[in-house]
Amino acid sequence: MGLDEALLRDAGSGSTLRFYRWRPAAISLGYFQPSAWVDSVQGSHAVVRRITGGGAIYHDHEITLALTLDATRLPTDTAASYALVHGCVAAALDRLGISTRAASGDPDTAARPARHWCFAEPTTHDLLTTRGDKLFGSAQRRLRHPAERVLHHGSLVLRAPDATPFCGSLLDFAPPEATEDRLIEALIGSFAEQLGLEPRPGEPTASELHHAAILARRYADPKFVRRR
Amino acid sequence: MRPTDRKYLKSHEWCLIEGDVATLGITDHAINLLSDLIYLELPDVGAKVKAGEPYGEIESVKSVSDIYSPVTGEVIATNDELVENVMSLAEDAFDRGWMIKVRVEETSPDLLDAKAYEELVQAEGE
Repeated sequence: MGLDEALLRDAGSGSTLRFYRWRPAAISLGYFQPSAWVDSVQGSHAVVRRITGGGAIYHDHEITLALTLDATRLPTDTAASYALVHGCVAAALDRLGISTRAASGDPDTAARPARHWCFAEPTTHDLLTTRGDKLFGSAQRRLRHPAERVLHHGSLVLRAPDATPFCGSLLDFAPPEATEDRLIEALIGSFAEQLGLEPRPGEPTASELHHAAILARRYADPKFVRRR
Repeated sequence: MRPTDRKYLKSHEWCLIEGDVATLGITDHAINLLSDLIYLELPDVGAKVKAGEPYGEIESVKSVSDIYSPVTGEVIATNDELVENVMSLAEDAFDRGWMIKVRVEETSPDLLDAKAYEELVQAEGE
């Protein structure tokens, strides 16, 4: 989480598409979410709070991505920016023969989510399996100063966790050649194409790692995790 | 045309300065860009805010954005009703949609008048 925020805030970080996995499984809360409810489901799991919005995610067998970039590369309209990112993911899956569909809904009926889990409530533009289960969940953080930047978090569920069985399970219907490596490769290609970027592998800079280490203290602080 | 009695920031916040008190909020243009508003967090009365730095946070469509202050000073009132019903911002950004009142010590050097702000949002393709 600290590195994602460092990549968002550090001037000169450019555009980064970062992938990671969670071992052991853990729970992340949305920035504004209340935390008291999580006591009943936490068990021995670590709980972290994201700086992006939305609902809680039980992270287990999934590909997690953090896209950080200048806001000018995305539509200024927030909903349109989700549509673009989800379109990138859908196109990547399509290349591997995996069909999905976008959730529809009336944007005017949006309200505070009634359920705690992000994947329990598909919202407009969310990526669903053809059966209608939510497969890819997203949330954002936007900065305007010192530069207009966006962090877009996304979780692509490979196998629905027991804790959140309503998630789609990509591995249930993906062809065998759609390995995790191939999925990531397809995602990189799709994002690069749609955003007009030239992908190249990279590691965080010393400055980003230093900033991430400082930010990590806040993420580890129970006062931040339980801020609401 | 947006209210001409206020000043604006490029990041789409407004302030109305009357004497040494500034009333702060965000513009209708910002609200249109954010779309469905879900959560709003404001500082406590007595907190200090600084020109150009965030004083609040707002969530829409699972996207969290900072709200920047056009002035430096101490918070003397907050619109708690708005925190409870943030969606009402879409109905009235400039009056009932005020967020905090600040006893002003200093204003941002980057304040725009209504005409300059209007040109900015036109350039952004309102």
